[in-house]
Amino acid sequence: MRSAVVFLFSALSMMPFKLWAAEPVWFGNANAPRVLAIDSAMDLASFEPILKAFVALHPDVRVVYRDVNTLELYYLIIQEQKHPVASLAISSAMDLHLKLVNDGYAQTYQSDFTDNLPDNFKWRNQLFAFSIEPIVMLVNKEAFPGDLPDDRQSLLQTIRQNEKTMTKRIGTYDIRESGVGYLLASQDARQADVTWGRLLEAFGSHDVQTYCCTHDIIDDVASGKLVLGYNLLGSYASQRARDDSRLKMILPKDYTLMLMRAALIPKGAPNAADAGVFLDFLLSDQAQKMMQNQGLLFPIRPDMNNANDPYVVSAPGPTGVIELDQQLLVGRDYAKQKRFIRNWEMALEISSED
Amino acid sequence: MWQKSLDHQNLSEEEEKRALANAPSLRFRFILAGVLVIGIIAGLAINLIFDYSQKLADLSYDRLLRSALLQIDENVSLIRNEVSIDIPWSAFATLAQADEDRVFYKVESLEQGFITGYQDLNSTPPKPPVLDQIQFYNQEYSGELVRFAWLERSLTDPETSQTVRIVLGQTRLSREAMSTAVTQRAVEVVVFIALVALTLIAIGSHLVLQPLHRIERALEERAMGDLTPLDINTPKETHHLKVAINHFMARLQTNLEQLENYTADAAHQLRTPLASLKALAENARDNTSGDSASPQAQQQALENIVKQCDALSQTVTLLLNQAVVSHRLQTHRLEPTSLLEPIRASCRAQAVTALHQGVQLSLDCDLSDAVVLGDSFSIQQMMQNLIENAVRYSSLGMNNATEVIVQVSAFERFYRIKVIDYGNGIPDIEKSRVFERFYRGRYDIAGSGVGLAMVKDIVDHHSARIEILDTYPKGTTFQVDFAKFIFNEDTV
Repeated sequence: MRSAVVFLFSALSMMPFKLWAAEPVWFGNANAPRVLAIDSAMDLASFEPILKAFVALHPDVRVVYRDVNTLELYYLIIQEQKHPVASLAISSAMDLHLKLVNDGYAQTYQSDFTDNLPDNFKWRNQLFAFSIEPIVMLVNKEAFPGDLPDDRQSLLQTIRQNEKTMTKRIGTYDIRESGVGYLLASQDARQADVTWGRLLEAFGSHDVQTYCCTHDIIDDVASGKLVLGYNLLGSYASQRARDDSRLKMILPKDYTLMLMRAALIPKGAPNAADAGVFLDFLLSDQAQKMMQNQGLLFPIRPDMNNANDPYVVSAPGPTGVIELDQQLLVGRDYAKQKRFIRNWEMALEISSED
Repeated sequence: MWQKSLDHQNLSEEEEKRALANAPSLRFRFILAGVLVIGIIAGLAINLIFDYSQKLADLSYDRLLRSALLQIDENVSLIRNEVSIDIPWSAFATLAQADEDRVFYKVESLEQGFITGYQDLNSTPPKPPVLDQIQFYNQEYSGELVRFAWLERSLTDPETSQTVRIVLGQTRLSREAMSTAVTQRAVEVVVFIALVALTLIAIGSHLVLQPLHRIERALEERAMGDLTPLDINTPKETHHLKVAINHFMARLQTNLEQLENYTADAAHQLRTPLASLKALAENARDNTSGDSASPQAQQQALENIVKQCDALSQTVTLLLNQAVVSHRLQTHRLEPTSLLEPIRASCRAQAVTALHQGVQLSLDCDLSDAVVLGDSFSIQQMMQNLIENAVRYSSLGMNNATEVIVQVSAFERFYRIKVIDYGNGIPDIEKSRVFERFYRGRYDIAGSGVGLAMVKDIVDHHSARIEILDTYPKGTTFQVDFAKFIFNEDTV
C-alpha cells in the first residue's frame, strides 16, 4: 500500500510522495452533490480504474478512497460504530469482515446484483465477495538457488539444502500486523497442520523476514533482497510478475488457498445508497470484465473463453477456497488467536514486544 | 269428505316469490354447516402445523447446536491447572449449515473467569443448571433473538477441579425459514383439501337435492286430474317422500271418487222425491181439471204434495247438515263441551215431529253435567239422525211401537248414550252395513241412506264407540260411548 508508487506515479504524480497513502484520495467531479467514502485494504493501483469508471458512470457522486490496513480497518469500524465515516468497507481479511457482520456492525443490502451472486460469495446479504484470487509464492528466478519449488514440500527441501542462501531471504506477513496475513497463516495451519509446523520451524530457523504488506515483500523479492515471498495475494503478485521477468509466481501444487475480497456497508453508514450502487457496480459484468481484462483483480465470474489468461486461476493442485461462512470465526477465536500468535512468535523467535 | 281451503290456495304469484325468497334453503344450510366444520378443522390443523413446524425446526437445528457444543466441549481440557480450549473448525462447520445465522459463544470457568468468546455474553438458562446437562432456550442478544445451548461441566485432574461453562448461540433465521417452509407446504395442502371438500359439498348438495327436483318436475308436468302414483326411480332417502306423495294422491283419489259417488247419489236421492212430487202434482192437476173433481180428492192430492215436499225438504236439510258437519269436523278443533246440551236440544226439536208420527220421545237422564271433548253441533246432528232413525222405524211395523227412549248414563271413564226403539229391529246381517253410505235397509221407508253414515263419521271423529244392540223384546238400540273429558287441574 504505502509502496504502490510504481504503479501510480503517472496518475497521481501531483500527490506528495508517501502522503497519499495515508491521505484519502478523491475521484470524480469536485462539485458532485454526493460523496461516497470507501475504506479499503486494497492497493489503489488495482482499484483506481474501477473507481474512475464508476465516477464516469455516476457523475453526481464523488468517491473518497482511504487505504487502510486490514487489521486497522477492523478496529476502525468498531471504533466508528456510532458514527461511521466509511460508506463502504472493502477488505481481503475475510475473517475480520465476517466477524464484523456476525457481531452486528454491518447493514443489509439487497439488489438484483447481490441476488445473482452465488450463496458462497455472500453472507446474510451483509457481506459480499467480488473477487477471488489465489494465494501464491513469488520467487526471484535469478536469486533462487536450484529448481523453483512447486509446492511447500519442495520449498522446505530447498530451504534445508540451501540454508545459507535462504537465511533472511524469505519474506512473509507479520500475522500480528496484517489481518489477511493472520487469516492465511491460520488457514495454512488448518489445511495442513504438519506441513505448516515444519514450514514455521524452517522459517524460524532461517530468520524469515516479516512484513505488514504484500507490496513490501514483492519489492524486496524483485530487488533480490529476498528470494521468495510466501503467502502473497495473487492479484498483486501476478501484476508484478507480468511486468518483471525476474519474478515468477508459483501456485503451490499441494494446495492453493483461494481468498475472496469482500465488502460490507457499515451499520449507520453515511450515503449507504451510493455504497449499494457501487457494490452493484463491483458485481456488474462491466467491473468484473475490467478486473480480468486490465489485470486488476481475479473476478468471481471470469470469462472462461480466454484460456491462457493469467487472471483465470488454473491451479496445478487442489484449491482450498477459504469459505465465506461462520467457520472463519474459529480462526479469530480469542483463545485460539492468542495461542496461534504465541506459537508463531515462538517459532519465529520473535518476542511479543517486537 | 274432501276439504276446500280457499284461504291457502289462492296465493298470488308475488306472495309466492316472496315466500320463496324468505324460505330457508336446505342447500345453503348444508353448505354453511360444511364450511363451518371444515373451516374449524382447517383452522385447528393450521394451528397445529404452526406449532409443530416450530418444534420441528428447533428440533433439527438444536441437533446441530448440540453437536457443535459437544465438539467444543471435547476440546476443553486442563493444562497445567488452567482451562484450555481449542475451538475445532468442525464445530463451526456444523453451525455453518444454518448458512445465514450469526454465532455467539462464550467459554468461561467459574474459578478462572472468561476464557474465550464474547465476553459480554451473560446468558442464564431458564432452568436451574444441572452439571453435564445441555439446556436450550431463546434469548435476545446483539439485537436478535438467539437460540442458546448451555452446558456446565466440571473438569478434574488430580490437582485441581474446575467448572467450565459453555454457552453457544445461533440466531434463528434458518429455523424460521424451515418452519415457514414446512408451514407453507402444509397450509397449502390443508387449504387445498378444504377447498376440495367444499367443492364436493357444493356438488353433493346439488346431487342430493336432485331427486327432490325430479319429483317436483314429475308433479309439475302431470296432466290435470292425473292422480296415478309417481313412477320415477328415486334413491332410498327420497323413497318415503315418494311413497307419502303416492299415498296422499291415493287418498285424494278415494276422496274424489267418494265425492263423485256422493254427488251422483245425492242427485239420485233428490230425483226420486222430485219425480214423485211431479207425479202427485200432475195427478192433482188432472183431478181438479176433470169432471170427477171432488173437493175431497183435491184435498187429498194437495195433502200428498205437501207430505212429499216435507220429505224432500228433510232430505235436502240432511244433505246440507251433512256438508256442514263434515266441514266442521275438518276445520273445528274439538273443545270441552257439554254432552247434555245438544242431546236435549235435539230431543226438543224432534219431540213434536215424533208425536206427529205417533211416537213418544222421552229423555231419560239424571245427570247434571257431562263434559266431553267434542263439537256441539256435530253431536246434535248425530243425535238428530239417531232419533229420526229410531222414530222412523218405530212408526212402521205391525204393532205400532209408540216409544223411543234416549238414555244418558255415566260410567267411570265414559258417558253412554242409548237411543232405544221398539220397532222391528235390524237383522244381524245388516247391522254391519247400516253405516255404509247410501245403504238403506228398506226402500219402502223414506230416508236418504246418509244419516247413519254421517253418525259414524261423527262418532269416529270424536273417537267414540258406536254399537247396535237389540232391544228386548224387539227393536234396536244404538249405543254410543263418549270418553269423559278429564279435566287436568295442573294446567289451569
